[in-house]
Order: sequence, then C-alpha cells, then structure tokens
Amino acid sequence: MIRRDIPAWLFWVLAIGGIVVLLTSYELVSARQTRINALQTTIPSFEKLGEGLKQIFRPQGQPENPKPAMFWVDMRATLWRLGLGMAMGVAMSIVVGVLMGAYRWIEAPLSAVVMFLSKIPPTAMMPIYFAVVGTDQKMFTSMVALGIFFSMTQSIYQAVRQDVSDEAINKAYTLGASEFEIIYEVIWKQILPKIIDSIRLQIGPAMVFLLAAEMVVGNAGLGYQIRMQSRILNMSVVYVYLFILAMVGLLAEWSLATLRRKLCPWFVD
Amino acid sequence: MKPPPAVHYALEVQSLSQTYGNHAVLDNINLQVLPGQIVALVGPSGCGKSTLLKAILGTHKPTSGEVRTDGIPVRGPNRNVGIVYQQYSLYDFLTAEQNVSFGLKLDETTFLTRFFTPRKYIAKRREHNRRAKEFLYQVGLESACGKYPGEMSGGMRQRVAVAQAFIMRPKVVLLDEPFGALDEAMREDLQMMLLRFYQENLIAKREGRMPQYTILMVTHELNEAIYVADRVIGLSRFHTQGEKGAAIVYDRPCPVFSPDDPRDFSKFVEQREELRKAVFDDTYIKDRDKYVTFWKELSSLAKDVSNQRVS
Repeated sequence: MIRRDIPAWLFWVLAIGGIVVLLTSYELVSARQTRINALQTTIPSFEKLGEGLKQIFRPQGQPENPKPAMFWVDMRATLWRLGLGMAMGVAMSIVVGVLMGAYRWIEAPLSAVVMFLSKIPPTAMMPIYFAVVGTDQKMFTSMVALGIFFSMTQSIYQAVRQDVSDEAINKAYTLGASEFEIIYEVIWKQILPKIIDSIRLQIGPAMVFLLAAEMVVGNAGLGYQIRMQSRILNMSVVYVYLFILAMVGLLAEWSLATLRRKLCPWFVD
Repeated sequence: MKPPPAVHYALEVQSLSQTYGNHAVLDNINLQVLPGQIVALVGPSGCGKSTLLKAILGTHKPTSGEVRTDGIPVRGPNRNVGIVYQQYSLYDFLTAEQNVSFGLKLDETTFLTRFFTPRKYIAKRREHNRRAKEFLYQVGLESACGKYPGEMSGGMRQRVAVAQAFIMRPKVVLLDEPFGALDEAMREDLQMMLLRFYQENLIAKREGRMPQYTILMVTHELNEAIYVADRVIGLSRFHTQGEKGAAIVYDRPCPVFSPDDPRDFSKFVEQREELRKAVFDDTYIKDRDKYVTFWKELSSLAKDVSNQRVS
C-alpha cells in the first residue's frame, strides 16, 4: 500500500543496502573494465581511488620549498568564492525580498523584473559576466551572488506574502509596533525558517554556477581541478573531488537544518 | 433617544458610511460605547460587520464619518484598539508567555535600547514576563507559558490571544468571532472568562476605578451575544432605507450574568426572538430606530436608581 510504514530496522537495513549495492556495482564495473584494459583510468578501482586521495593531499612544489597540497588550494579557492558569493546574494535577496513583500510600492516595479530575470539560467549569462566584470575573483563572486539572487528574492517575497498574514501585521500595530519593528520582529522572525530553507536549496545551484565558471576560466578551485584532471584522464582524482563535493553539500545541508532547528524550534515542516 | 453628549466614551462611531462603487454597505452608523461595556455585534452574513470592525480598527478608511477611541480620531491601527481574530491570533514563533509580553516589549522598549542597553532591557523583559505570567494565570493558562501556538489547542490559543490584547490595556478590544472555530466546551470556557472580565469591570466601577475591559464582540451566536454582553447591537439591511446600506437596527441592553449563575439560555428567549426578528428576518421591514433604545433604557434605569436612593 502507498505510504505504508515499515519498521525502523528494515528502513536502515535497506538504506545501508543501497550504499553497499552502489559500491559493489562500482567495483564490479571497474574490475570488468580493468580486465578489458589493464591501464584504464576511467573507472578506477578503490585502490586507485586511494592513490588519488593521497595525491590530492600531497604537498606540492620542491621539498626545500613546499607548497600546500592541491586539495587545500582548490578547497580554499572554491569555498571562499562560494561563501562570499552566497553571503552577498543571500543578504541582497533578504533585503529586496522582504521589502517587496512588505511594501506595494516596492513590489510593483520589481516583481515583474525579478520574475523575468530569474528565468535566465546564470550559466548562460557567463559571457556577460566575463565582459562586464572580468575573469577574476569578482566574476566568481558576482556570478554566485547574482545567480542565486533572483530566485531567492522571489522565494523570500512569496514567503512574506503567504506566511505573514495581514492580521499578524495589523495586530502588531495594535500592540504598538513601528514599521521597522514589524519588519524585524514579525516578518523576519516568521519567515526565518523559510529563508534558511531557501539558502539550503540555493547551495546546489550556486555550486553549479561556480564550478561551471571555474571550469571555464579558473586557475584554482574544485571545478578547475576537475577539468584539468579529466583532461589527462586522471579520474581517480576526479572521483575523489566529486565525493568531496557531495560531502560538502551534505555538510552544508546538515548545518543549515541544525541551524533551523536551533533558531526556529517552533517550525514544523 | 441620543446618547448624552458630555459622557466620556471608550469608542465613538460618528455618521460612518461605507460604499464600494455603487454598492452601499454601511449607512450612517452611530455608536457610542462606555468604558467597561461588553457589546455584542450581530447581523446576517455580508451585512457589513467586518467592514465596521475594519473601520474601527483603522485598517479601512470609511467613505464618510469618523471613529474615535477615547476622544482621539482613529487614523490607522494603533495602541488604543486591540484585536482578537478568529484565526491567525498568535505569532507562531513566540511561546504563550512571549506572545502575551510581545506588546509590552514593543510598547515599552525601542529597537535601540534592546541593543545598546542590554542590562536595562533584560530587567524590563523580566518584568514583562512576570506580568505576562500573571495574566496567563488569570485566564487559567499558567501551565502553558512555554508552549508555542502549534502545541496548543484552539481554545488555549484564543485565551492567550485575549491575554495578549488585554495586557496592553487598550481603550477597546475588538473580538472578531473569536470563538467561532471552537467546540462547545471551549466556547463555554471562554464565555466564562468574558463574564469574569465583566465582573472585574463592575468591581472597578464600584471602587471608582476605570474599568479595564471594554469589548466589542462580533458573533453569529445569538445566545452567546446575550449571555456574555451587557448590550447587543444588530446590524442589518432589513429596514425602510435598506437600499442605502446596513444600519444599526437593534441596540438594547442585555441581562447581566455572573460566572457563578447557572448557564440557562431560556432566561432570555424573549430577547433572542426579538433580536432574531429585528435583525435577521428579511420579511420584517421596520423603521431603523424602532429597536434602538439602549440610551433611553439606560437613562430610565438611572432615574429609577436615583429615585430609589431618594426614597
């Protein structure tokens, strides 16, 4: 029957089973590919992946003048661009989205513009960023910031319109609130869980925009390294980087879900 | 008979009319509410009760006329008029105690003092929370202080909403069908709470203090209107000038009950039938002032009382 519950132990057995099946299938396909071509690197074995892992953490440069390992250089570059871009995009969209939801005279000129621009895929806008902002740090940051800005502004604006009733606002006035207090004490606090959820949902698209840009014009970063390593078919590094990307995504998602639980204990999905 | 002009009113509605395009909704509404009165407002669906309430709250500007609370014209929703809605009555992100003390925080502290004088602010909030707890105790919800609205029943939420409105001591509180979504038992509990408020008003009047609970309650339950209120107002189009909009066609005092009295609705069957006929019967078209006798009855009651004192 649809949605019939299953025992918790069975759920966990099936969940672990899914991971085991994935890993076993990978190993079988890799072994088959190695039988066909012993020098193949497209689907490396777990042993080769271990070597890839060691390679990314190996210090670079000469022994007398060591430089940080590839992983740290790429991770620092990507996380810095992602963090800064997301921080700017989130801050701008919160301000604009909340004001659009609160004031009709701000909503009127902006809602159609925001809706239109949110439909253009940010990766398709890449040539414009190259031409206008250049290809340095500013480009990566503005691409992530503007890439998430329009859709996040729209979701925050919708949250204000739908989750904050006129009654809640009128009541706050009767309790002596000023307009600024209504925005901070009522609107912001009511939609905070939606904002956190919105940030969580934007991490994936932001990563896509950033990695795409890094693959095209980067000189460091996860996207850049994936492209460089795939060009020489060093897939053991590529797969390790993909695994790291998945872990970064999961960690960010878990952190934001925890943050939402801590900040908004009243909120129920 | 017109109300006495020199009396201090908690709420005054003067010659209020509302039209939307060619559609006349309210016509020349005049209403004066004394401090400490609990007034029930009844009327058929779509007769303009909500429109009148919005005009009193200040969220909708009437086409003509004026609303005053404590003598001050209402220009928008403000501290003088409290409101309890049927739904959306509480802030989801605040506990019961925080919901009740929310208005005190907004009213007695500013955004800047909250950030720049944290010690004073914390001390003030402790005081607010103490007052909120006291009020929750009064409405029988001392055990629910830490609960969020999502964890409370409909009746509990409405009680907290009533406490939230009254702790601010507004000049008048509007109850917009506050018990409409509740089951009979919860409804009864909340009716008792209003009767207790009325008793406190009477004690305050006896002691020469200003009564603190002045209520205008919209309800569609006639029994509730007569049982809880000390005055019932009926808004209806079923009068000789009905094409101009709904008017107050019924304004009479009601028997006053104490929470300890047996809850016996048969005591006011006669008034209920009169109210039903005057306000809800679309075949009974009468002069709009026929049942608007509250001030006349109040004045003759006052004369009787003074005559009794003299004799």
